[in-house]
Amino acid sequence: MKMSQNNSDKDASNNKTISLPISRVRLIMKSSPDVSSINQDALFLTTKATELFVQHLALSSFNNGSGKDNNTLSYSDLASTAEETEIFHFLTDILPKKILARDYLKSLEQMQEEEADN
Amino acid sequence: MDGDSSTTDASQLGITGEYMASGHYVLQSQDDDGEESLNDHEDGGIKENFREQDIYLPIANVARIMKNAVPQTGKAMKGEKGMPGVSVGESLGEELTDDSFTNPLPAGIITADGQQQNVMVYTTSYQQIPAVQQIQFS
Repeated sequence: MKMSQNNSDKDASNNKTISLPISRVRLIMKSSPDVSSINQDALFLTTKATELFVQHLALSSFNNGSGKDNNTLSYSDLASTAEETEIFHFLTDILPKKILARDYLKSLEQMQEEEADN
Repeated sequence: MDGDSSTTDASQLGITGEYMASGHYVLQSQDDDGEESLNDHEDGGIKENFREQDIYLPIANVARIMKNAVPQTGKAMKGEKGMPGVSVGESLGEELTDDSFTNPLPAGIITADGQQQNVMVYTTSYQQIPAVQQIQFS
């Protein structure tokens, strides 16, 4: 396994190591009522796939959002990506966009005014 | 997985409807009393309550994965590690100014142009303001 920093970025997807606890992944898989026993390989693959997904989401959100600007991944980047990128649409309920209560109340007032006018 | 209470409704079972037609009943472990709370959904009928740290992946591991995925970031803010409903004001320092609004309000609002936009309403302080709490989403 290569030890240099540059190569480890490329190898991250290809190596056989995983960062997530297998026992926890098994617990989550078993929480689905249709699942009884889980093959060891299937468990490993699911764990690895989850890890790759997290990488994909993080990187997509980073590139999609502030990215080059302030070198920071923020929640709003994730929420935007969930809304704008089709493959992440299933996350829109989990990662909703945030609005200041003040702005929400303002738009609510505008709505009420429009209704009053009609 | 719907909240429908009729466990023997063949249309819900899809292909197993064929078996239902003969009059034999399939034992279901799922408790279909219409409740869709997170705990019931998790264990399919056994009334065991899991703590938040038991049903989610460890945030430290996820944080590490995210950090290594993103090229050389200065910082990753605490609120973005995939936990729903977290970060009231934590990750939004630059956007918060004054205000005495309260805890996060329910998600999902209808904006001025009539389109339903899925948002999570958050606030910037922890004082209670009853008027805000009573706002109904139509």
